[in-house]
Amino acid sequence: MNEQISRLMDGDADESEVERVCHGCATGPVMETWVCYHMIGDALRGSVSEATSAAPGFSQRFAAMLAAEPTILAPQSRLTHRLGVSWAIAATVAAVAVVGWTAVSLTDAPTTAIARAREAADVRAAQLRPQAISPDYLLAHQEYSPATAMQGAGPYLRAVAVPAGDAQR
Amino acid sequence: MRAATPSLKRRLRGYVLIPSAAWIIGAASLCQAQDVAQWLARAANAARAQNYVGTIVYQHAGHVETSRLAHMFDNGEELDRLVSLDGPAREIIRSAGEVRCYYPDSRIVRVEPRTIRNVFPSLSAEQQRALAQYYDFRKAEQARIAGYDAQAWVFEPKDGLRYGHKFWAEAGTGLLLKARLLGEGGEVVEQFAFMDITIGGPVDRSLVKPTWPATPADWQVREGSAGETAPRDTGWLVSRLPPGFVKIMEGFRRLRGKPDPVAHLVFSDGLVAVSVFVEPVTTAPAHAGFSQQGGVNVYSVRLDDNLVTALGEVPGTTVRQIASSVTHR
Repeated sequence: MNEQISRLMDGDADESEVERVCHGCATGPVMETWVCYHMIGDALRGSVSEATSAAPGFSQRFAAMLAAEPTILAPQSRLTHRLGVSWAIAATVAAVAVVGWTAVSLTDAPTTAIARAREAADVRAAQLRPQAISPDYLLAHQEYSPATAMQGAGPYLRAVAVPAGDAQR
Repeated sequence: MRAATPSLKRRLRGYVLIPSAAWIIGAASLCQAQDVAQWLARAANAARAQNYVGTIVYQHAGHVETSRLAHMFDNGEELDRLVSLDGPAREIIRSAGEVRCYYPDSRIVRVEPRTIRNVFPSLSAEQQRALAQYYDFRKAEQARIAGYDAQAWVFEPKDGLRYGHKFWAEAGTGLLLKARLLGEGGEVVEQFAFMDITIGGPVDRSLVKPTWPATPADWQVREGSAGETAPRDTGWLVSRLPPGFVKIMEGFRRLRGKPDPVAHLVFSDGLVAVSVFVEPVTTAPAHAGFSQQGGVNVYSVRLDDNLVTALGEVPGTTVRQIASSVTHR
């Protein structure tokens, strides 16, 4: 199963493997492996934070899995050159899985770890693409947001704020 | 992408449906749903129907921006004026028919028509249920904000697809004096807060009068034209909408400088909204992926000859899930 998870993360899994992993994710151990592998990926890319690595029991699981399957770390290029694909798939699965998983409440502790891993993915992606937002979109959106109704004109400040306030866009 | 991807998406869709069904709850939370709706309606009503003048501080990602806000309610009409006190004196004028943003530093005025009045506070029964289902709503501490007694309220999300919200409502009117968005680890993502405010009493009309003429000479005017007033099927749908979000608007609008109409769909869980824009593009889009403005996260993705953008007051993962699951019917 661990090899299949790894292949899925790299976008190399075939249909039957995808099915097995997705079904497996409904159980704690498979999900833990999934999260663990992503943290390994984070570490390799240098984007792991103290908060992430301090998730309960992370280090023990990491050590155990590393001992059980050292090949996951090699070759390193496998994890890095397919960064885009890996992130897209990984983050989608993590996001969706956390929804289902929270609901069925099979286990509780690793939810935090998954959330943090997912957050790390977000931060990483945001860092890769620092962009300003089109004020046109912001203004069009603002009108429909309940937040605007509750807070009055305040949220419109986003449209003139830094950095979205780049009027030229 | 790769051969495995369509299969992956198909599998994942099933996993979303299972928890949705599991989350269907009984009538027990309906009581609370009405309480929440009443609380929100009170805040919205105060923001609209009170007169107030104050200094508002907007904090996001290490930035602190201070602005002067005047809100006048006169004969059923709202009028707002917001002026930046730091940096360029950018100004926002919100009236019944439009929002005008003046950027004196780049000599641009941006005009956004207000075609459809904000749907709030008339929450549908579905939205009320969603609110109670996906957030824990509770009374927090009492505080003093900008010289007024205030009561703090917390909306704590029950899943990772929403931000947490903390509001400080003025004791007498319910007007929100401070609003904070909280991330998963409790960190402040964004905050609006009054430093000083005067609530009630007459507001001098000069305080809401624009500094600039409607279209200053030699300024560039960027005007979006009115969208469709009637709801309209755009042909686009979101296949993996996060639970609790319902569609509150769908139509086409013309954004300045865009030759083709842009499809605009809005989804809300009763507390926040996510907009989805689908615009035809012929060249590679200048921006794709994530961006962020305070509590508003944005994710853009190319879909055939279209650029799909989802944005709203939700975490990045949520806008990504929405944008990447947009399909044509």
